[in-house]
Amino acid sequence: MLRRRSVFRDETKLDINYVPLRLPHREAELRLLMEFFNFALQSPGKMAQRVLITGNVGTGKTALSQRFGANITTEANKRGIGLCQVYVNCRELRGSLFLILQHAVTTFHPNFPKRGYSAEEILTSFIQILDEQNSHVILILDEFESLIDREGSEAVYKLTRLQEARQNKPQRLSLLCVVRNLKSISQLDASTRSTLQSNVINLEKYSKQQLVDILKDRVSLAFNPIAVPEDTLDLIAEIAVSESGGARFGIELLWRAGKYADAGDLNTVPPECVRKAVSSIIPEMRKSDLVNLGLHEKLFLLGIARALKKDEKAYVTFTEAERSYAIVCEEFETTPRSHTQLWKYLRSFSAIGIISSEHVTETSRGRSTGISLPRIPTDDLEKELKTLLENQD
Amino acid sequence: MNVEDIFSSRLRMKILRMLVQVGELNVSQIARRLNVNFTTTSKHLKVLEDEGILIHKEFGRIRLYRLNEHSPKAKVVQTLVETWEHPNNK
Repeated sequence: MLRRRSVFRDETKLDINYVPLRLPHREAELRLLMEFFNFALQSPGKMAQRVLITGNVGTGKTALSQRFGANITTEANKRGIGLCQVYVNCRELRGSLFLILQHAVTTFHPNFPKRGYSAEEILTSFIQILDEQNSHVILILDEFESLIDREGSEAVYKLTRLQEARQNKPQRLSLLCVVRNLKSISQLDASTRSTLQSNVINLEKYSKQQLVDILKDRVSLAFNPIAVPEDTLDLIAEIAVSESGGARFGIELLWRAGKYADAGDLNTVPPECVRKAVSSIIPEMRKSDLVNLGLHEKLFLLGIARALKKDEKAYVTFTEAERSYAIVCEEFETTPRSHTQLWKYLRSFSAIGIISSEHVTETSRGRSTGISLPRIPTDDLEKELKTLLENQD
Repeated sequence: MNVEDIFSSRLRMKILRMLVQVGELNVSQIARRLNVNFTTTSKHLKVLEDEGILIHKEFGRIRLYRLNEHSPKAKVVQTLVETWEHPNNK
């Protein structure tokens, strides 16, 4: 089969494991991390650090920690300092301290035995290896709560208080713990908690505009120029914010929308592809929601769907939707409802979650509400409504 | 030991080939891969270590064996195994 054109330039830049060089809206946190660990470059071995990064899903915790790890390692290498990052996802290793330490040791000795030894022995071996190689490690423990849940205070205590048994020896191991919620730290005993909670970086949820900036950055890396219109990015960001999915969800949606565009042999990624992508990720709107709508509610919704489809836009204004509804009423030989009544319909659609009407567009005549259909492709909605209207008494 | 004594053992040759291929292993891992017991493996490792072909590093109870990078004999063994396995590589 011949390779068709693609909207993508390099889709690997949208992979969940890709860590971009630039992290929009996390520059301050990245600088703060560099400050916390500055001693590792200025006076390696003199101290060790423990930092906690917290934040909801999709707030950039993993990307921030990995970007920081890569940056500080590069900087250390330039200065001839033996410093490296070891990234571990605790959940992938079932929260086992043994497996986490084993993973860390295999960075230096890939064939280190996988069984027959305790976690304490491996920790001792790990420090011995670092001593022999005069190396320092920043151990990044992502999904740190898994370790706490499985091993409790004891394991975390061993990691954080390691140096106390090594008086007057260089400090080799610093920790960067990534946790979704600080509440999971409360399971730890007071002394362990106190060593962890001194440096906490909390990542706030991204706003819609911040998500647009992040998506724009990824688009410039992953897509052909002008393949993704602003409208599409706006819609993705809005959905990501409303689904509390954050950047990760937004980037996944962007990739899926690109795939739908490729499947349709399109040059660009229109908002319609985002709707298709969303309906493939999020369970689509329940049909019963549509069945229970009155005749004119269905007609108005059909008008909205057609207006969105006609202009291939992410949003239509209320006036455009009203105009399209009037045409639908003509088609079904019925008198349109009043402007005020349509407003009420719009509010109820929004409450059910069929449409989103929060977007505000600036027009020459002032501000107007933009209506979008985030969760269902316009084609599917139109088909569903037509079937229902044809069977309506 | 003479060269014929060192290389006359099938197990010793297997150990050397294994360590050329994977770098370093502990006694249990070598024994498991050779399908022989721990004691026999240890004996052969000692012979190779006494000849200076292998060295080991200890981490508590863990002993990791590897070719001695400073030994001319180990270099010859490495070349021998690599040439045998990939004769066309320069």
